Amino acid sequence: METTEPSVVARVDNLSKSYGTGSNVVSALSGVSLGINAGEFTAIMGPSGSGKSTLMHIMAGLDSVTSGRVFVGDTDITVLGDSDLTILRRRRVGFVFQSFNLVPTLNIEGNILLPFELDGRRPSSQERAWIDQLIESLGLRDRLSHRPHELSGGQQQRVAIARALATRPDLVFADEPTGNLDSRTSREVLTLLQTASREYGQSIAMVTHDPIAASYADRIVFLADGRIVDDRARSTPEEISTFMLSMEQHS
Amino acid sequence: MKSFSLREHAPSILVASLSSAFGVAVLQFFGVLAQIIRADDVTGSSDTVAFFLAFVGCVFIAIAVYTGAVVTSNTFSTIIAGRTRTIALLRLIGSSARAQRSAVAREGLIVGIVGATIGAVVGTGVTVGTVALGQASNFIPDLTFSFIDASIVLPVITVVLTTWLASWVGSRRVLVVSPMQAIGASTEQSREEASASRGRSAAAAVLFGVGIGILVLSVLLGLVTPLAVLIGIVGGLLSFTGLVMGAHLVMPPALRLVGRLLGPGAASRLAAENAVRYPERSSRTTIGLVIGVTLVTMFAVALQSYQNLLYSAYANDPTYYDGIDEALLLTVVIFSVLVGFSAVIAAVGMVNNLSLSVLQRTRELGLLRALGFTAKQVRSMILAESAQLTLASVLVGLVLGTFYGWAGAQSLFGSINGSPGIVVPGIPLAFLAGVVVLAGVLTVSASVGPSRRATRIAPVAALAVE
Repeated sequence: METTEPSVVARVDNLSKSYGTGSNVVSALSGVSLGINAGEFTAIMGPSGSGKSTLMHIMAGLDSVTSGRVFVGDTDITVLGDSDLTILRRRRVGFVFQSFNLVPTLNIEGNILLPFELDGRRPSSQERAWIDQLIESLGLRDRLSHRPHELSGGQQQRVAIARALATRPDLVFADEPTGNLDSRTSREVLTLLQTASREYGQSIAMVTHDPIAASYADRIVFLADGRIVDDRARSTPEEISTFMLSMEQHS
Repeated sequence: MKSFSLREHAPSILVASLSSAFGVAVLQFFGVLAQIIRADDVTGSSDTVAFFLAFVGCVFIAIAVYTGAVVTSNTFSTIIAGRTRTIALLRLIGSSARAQRSAVAREGLIVGIVGATIGAVVGTGVTVGTVALGQASNFIPDLTFSFIDASIVLPVITVVLTTWLASWVGSRRVLVVSPMQAIGASTEQSREEASASRGRSAAAAVLFGVGIGILVLSVLLGLVTPLAVLIGIVGGLLSFTGLVMGAHLVMPPALRLVGRLLGPGAASRLAAENAVRYPERSSRTTIGLVIGVTLVTMFAVALQSYQNLLYSAYANDPTYYDGIDEALLLTVVIFSVLVGFSAVIAAVGMVNNLSLSVLQRTRELGLLRALGFTAKQVRSMILAESAQLTLASVLVGLVLGTFYGWAGAQSLFGSINGSPGIVVPGIPLAFLAGVVVLAGVLTVSASVGPSRRATRIAPVAALAVE
């Protein structure tokens, strides 16, 4: 097994993914190689059907590959079975979804502590202090005993972020985290993700098709038709939009 | 208009068939019994016996049909909950809520007709087969029996009508679906209709209170006359009806209590919450089983108490109760089978409810898998939910049944043993063991299908946007 460079927290090597059989084969990803750098906020951009969601699902161990290899840290996850993948997601990966996806029967505190409970343990005092800090900075202190449906969309997404950060995972995946939010709340959520990356060194991979959301990232990877077409550093929404438009026009 | 989906309605058809098969078979068996007695009539009392048998048969059929109707209306309301978006879309395009509800009720009528017909055929088959078997082994006299009697139409029609009615009651929620729900992004929080009306709770409490009052009176009067049991029956019926009506007040606390017994750990904690997520639905799911267990327990306890009484009364004369044991045991078994059938129907409802709730929780289960819930944890969560529903129903049923059984025995026999006599309630241990085993079997078998379906849900399901 090759060793991964210390600064790369997850990577894919020559990854291909196709769906269907025979003449109905649809290729979602073809020959993608990408490394997500530790401590960076990476945006994966592309139009609908570009394969960006598939790429994220595969990197998070949620979907299988057709060919190629996927590493989280030094672990090749393409050879892992279902329970090892489950443990990997539980301990080393965090998720923020578009539709918040909190467990409706648990209160806010229960949702934030869910990853620990799934692991069958209580947070250590160090982890507890970290969680308290998260709760405080996300302004969730007086919401802890509420149920998710009593919170606004923005508040629910903050709970989801707290849950994703609570275990200090190697990598947090965010799937269109602002897709269901108004523009003001979106800015709040994006700033939170940016802060998590800058101040706590949290590695984040965010899938989005929104140029404004992508402009908060340190690095932007563009996908089109299952291939990486550009990989650039922090850019303004205007630059990103222009690039997206040129991509659309050339295809 | 939504086309008739067999898959969606299979459980309701099964319930209707079971009720109808049971009704038809009971009437036919009792008819056969009446014919045997008539052929052997020396006392000329066969008409009275036939009438009595028909009456007893009707009571058991009524219990089974009632349980079936509760299960079906519950199933329908769960189906409606799953169809909310489709209904909202049709409302958006311009269909009226009334038209939507009538469509659902029409499906209910079809379910009733199909189920009741299948049941009639199956029930007749079971009777004919059993009688033929009995005749072959000389257990039943070699008479030519007529099985097809006008009276068997009665349970069939009753089942059709109650299924229809149940689908109408269960489709109540169609009226509150707003066209906006077709556009809304999320249906995550389908909070059930606000808790039941105060009127219903009050009526339930009054019925229960009055019933218990009458029951206490009958227990006291029972110290003087065995006729007190007739008052006791009234009290029992009233208070039990009150309990069934007020299931939404009784069952959630029972479920919570049992949920706490499940112990710590993510799987059992989530299960405990799931079982009371929709208190109304859980109450309706479990109350059928409670009715069945209560009735079976009541008969078992009353008979065992009677037996205890005989033992203590004739302790010096063992020859007296020789043979009584067997007769009593046989009575308990027959009654248990007859009443227990409604528990079977209730169990179908429970299995059904569990599978539907898993189907409607696809996203949530996907989320748990994505966050690191192993397939094994999902399975144990669903097993725990199943155990919680079964245990709570069985415990409540055992407590109620013991109480009612004792009250009945006390009213009937209190005066026999020289007044004032106290009847010591007794629970047959074999019966208790049987209930525990059956509860275990139900718990496991109810969770098999749903947990297989749940573990097949890919974690990606949580990320998919509807």
